[in-house]
Amino acid sequence: MGLGDLLPGGGTQKSEGGLGMFGAGSPTFLTTKIDFVINWGRRNSLWPMPFGTACCAIEMMAAAASNFDLARFGMERMSFSPRQADVLICAGRVPYKLAPVLRRIWDQMPQPKWCVSMGACASSGGVFDVYSMVQGIDTIVPVDVYVPGCPPRPEGLIYGLMMIQEKIREESLSRHFEHRAEDPALVALAKANEAEIVGLTGPFGNSTQQEKLSGAPTDDNSA
Amino acid sequence: MTERPLSGLDAVERGPLPSDPSAPAAPAPVEGQSDHPSVAALASRFGPAVQGHRLMAGDQTVVWIAPEKSLEILTWLKDDPAQQYDMMSDVTGVDYGSGRPIEVVYQMFSTVHKRALRLRCRLPLEALEIDSVAGLWHSANWLEREVYDLFGVTFKGHPDLRRILMPFDYAEGHPLRKDFPLRGRFSRAEQTRRALAQDVERFYGSQELAHGGPPQQVPARTEPEAEG
Ligand code: SF4
Repeated sequence: MGLGDLLPGGGTQKSEGGLGMFGAGSPTFLTTKIDFVINWGRRNSLWPMPFGTACCAIEMMAAAASNFDLARFGMERMSFSPRQADVLICAGRVPYKLAPVLRRIWDQMPQPKWCVSMGACASSGGVFDVYSMVQGIDTIVPVDVYVPGCPPRPEGLIYGLMMIQEKIREESLSRHFEHRAEDPALVALAKANEAEIVGLTGPFGNSTQQEKLSGAPTDDNSA
Repeated sequence: MTERPLSGLDAVERGPLPSDPSAPAAPAPVEGQSDHPSVAALASRFGPAVQGHRLMAGDQTVVWIAPEKSLEILTWLKDDPAQQYDMMSDVTGVDYGSGRPIEVVYQMFSTVHKRALRLRCRLPLEALEIDSVAGLWHSANWLEREVYDLFGVTFKGHPDLRRILMPFDYAEGHPLRKDFPLRGRFSRAEQTRRALAQDVERFYGSQELAHGGPPQQVPARTEPEAEG
């Protein structure tokens, strides 16, 4: 899909076949909105940072492989370095021991960045409502899109990423800081506060009932 | 008001129950001879420290031993030419609940004589201590750390008895014990707060960090010689 098709007004400069705007007889310039061009570039070159911790990661790999071919959507390369990534795909369950790692990877990604929570485990803890599991990564990093399923099919992940593309299309550069800036003072703190964590995990029977179970911490906390 | 049947979630909410004392007890030794050659040898050498044996899981010979003698017995089993259990496949623990003793299980294999042997030591809950065998088999090092982490058994003489699976500053106890609540002892918010306060670098001991060699020094920048 060329830029010509995407121009506001439908790319009226198109001539027969191919990219009309650079073809013979068409003007060598075009006018557009800077928001539009930037968002067009951003949403078609999203590099995912794969944070695959469990079975969902297998479906994420399938989505990147030739049958589903995530590269068609501009996710040309899985970026295993968070510094070169735009969208964090958290695929799989996250135990509390891994929580600071996930948080650090998110903090290392440059702005602008987005986050997909793939699968029931990443979104809510899934069936793992136990002592060791983070009950939804939204208590640690801000999530843009939740992909349901256990595991979601590759189509599901691709649909989620297309929703992110749609979200980027709606963004405006002039409101960038409103949407995206993070307060450095909050880095390495939970994204959600205590009440939010209870609220987010409560509907799954998680957090609100916790108090009933809580005993005093044990003495044998030596480590 | 009619009684609502308990759902799975209610059961979780109610928290851990004391395990049913009428539940099948831990397996106990049986009378009779064993055709495993190590059993007779153990009994004749260590006498009352060998508390009995039983054939379990098909062809697995299990021997119960007294925890005070465990290091002596295991050293002999490793070094005696007729035994030579040179491979410690697994060290693990079992909690049978209801205040019953926690058992530490040693699974050994002799690559010389092609024999397997399993030893079990009963440790009462108030004295969860046993000698470490990490000095005999290196493989026991991490396995004992795991038993310590999840059951709270202290291995005396272990070179590096830290938690291995749970975070190093985990303060909620030992999760595989039967009296441990399924969701831990703290609220989810508190657990999240503690998790994010962890220092990721501290997951590694100094030994592991040393594998990469000393930190690289960036060579001092030298100014190029001025031309002409
Ligand atoms: S949601 Fe299902 S498939 Fe995905 S990590 Fe959890 S258990 Fe595995």
